[in-house]
Amino acid sequence: MLVTGIKSKPVYAPLRYDAGGRYHVMLGQEVGEAPLLRVLGDMSGSPEALARTRVLYVPLRAAAAGAAPAAAFGGAGVADVRIFGTTAALLEAFRDLLGRALMGTRLYVAGPESFIGLAMKIALEFNLNKDEIRAEECGTRARRVYCIHCRTTTENVRTNIVTCGGCTRSLLVRDHYSRRLAAYMGVMADAEVPGELPPIREVFA
Amino acid sequence: MTEAATIEVEVTAIDQVTPLIKHFRLAPVDGGTLPAFSGGSHIIVVMHGAARAHRNPYSVLSPPNRLDAYEIGVRRMEESRGGSHFMHDSVRVGSRLQIAHPVNLFGLDKIARKHVLIAGGIGITPFLAMLEDLYGGPVPYELHYSVRSPEHAAFLVRLRRREGGRVHLYCDSEQQAIDFEALLGNQPLGTHVYVCGPGGMISRVAAVAKDCGWPDSHIHWEQFSAPPVGDAFEVFLARSRISVHVPPDQSLLESIEAAGVEVPYLCRGGVCGFCQTRVLEVDGELLHNDHFLSEAERASGKTIMPCVSRARCRSLLLDL
Repeated sequence: MLVTGIKSKPVYAPLRYDAGGRYHVMLGQEVGEAPLLRVLGDMSGSPEALARTRVLYVPLRAAAAGAAPAAAFGGAGVADVRIFGTTAALLEAFRDLLGRALMGTRLYVAGPESFIGLAMKIALEFNLNKDEIRAEECGTRARRVYCIHCRTTTENVRTNIVTCGGCTRSLLVRDHYSRRLAAYMGVMADAEVPGELPPIREVFA
Repeated sequence: MTEAATIEVEVTAIDQVTPLIKHFRLAPVDGGTLPAFSGGSHIIVVMHGAARAHRNPYSVLSPPNRLDAYEIGVRRMEESRGGSHFMHDSVRVGSRLQIAHPVNLFGLDKIARKHVLIAGGIGITPFLAMLEDLYGGPVPYELHYSVRSPEHAAFLVRLRRREGGRVHLYCDSEQQAIDFEALLGNQPLGTHVYVCGPGGMISRVAAVAKDCGWPDSHIHWEQFSAPPVGDAFEVFLARSRISVHVPPDQSLLESIEAAGVEVPYLCRGGVCGFCQTRVLEVDGELLHNDHFLSEAERASGKTIMPCVSRARCRSLLLDL
């Protein structure tokens, strides 16, 4: 079955500071902290740019929360650092921020692909394009999978075949990616012969 | 594009709208409708002068939903090679001209969240048609229109009648100037800027926008260059195996066409890139006047846009 080699699968590159931007918005989830701190390190010679930089970060694991990330970003020279308890809260604040942001803004996203996808989905609503967005993938490769039959999105999918959280069909996870939905397409895997499935393996660690 | 693809039109109205600009209405001679177009499109007008034919690009300024005629505005250029003088002095109501199908190299970004239009002088023309596409729609827009003095503000009554508060006029004579830094430094995300006017204005807008952090993909501009006059030179067309003389007041493209060799073109103003031609050999210097080639392409000496560019050379060999 054709599941790989599909061009819509996003390809990300390591984050780099874009000195052409006037304002800088950085979003991070979990292990995305490190790439953001690396970019901030590249900006250390530009206090003016750091003064126009905002960081929105969600640690996810409770153990990693607390004052440590805020202190790390603060130590890198960013005055405006906000730490969130959930990804949903971070994304809500991000949408609100873009609604007030001006042309000249650059977006930096670091974290797992599923987090990047959700951030990109919001950025697209504001007509930000590839010249204004940078993203670096790190952390889990677990996917958001959209069931093309019942339109339910199943989160944290690590296997080649997954049971849809909506209709319980067994879905084959394709590389076919939708930026609008921020999810990979899942299609019924045993439509021809019910119950006949390939071996289920963990493929998105 | 060949002559066969042109449409025969008749001039049905002429208005002197400013001391320098005439407004022409061109209707098809067969009385039918003209091809559909979108705001920002231009047409090539073919004028058969006494000595030679002129083919100049002009923006279509009439509403895109009106296809019984196209309207264009022509500014009388001081250093004209003849095209704008021909339109101003020789064309009358009832005159016949040929036009090529409309082409849009300056269209609106369909998913922009806001449009900022900046016009200088005759550069207002493409915006008149674009505004028709924007009027009454959900996407906010504003027009900033800069002219020498109030009497040079072509189509202002038409603009103000409908667009009201969205039109901002600036007159050099009143020491009014667009504050580009304030304008471009204060736009919401997803804004696109469009500029049409003198070269200085376009480069200023592009530079200020870049300085404010705008990516190139949000900056749109159009400026048709007239082919500049230069020294005469000779060109040899390798595939056609003929030599062509390029006189001082004729462009390379026009000279090649006059020799009977067809070169595909769209804008004839150095913008679209359609007539880009491979340079096989040059003994001398290419004089690039286009807005299309990158610095690296120019430096390579391997390519030229014959619609506006020339050469100062002992010999030039083109892949035509």
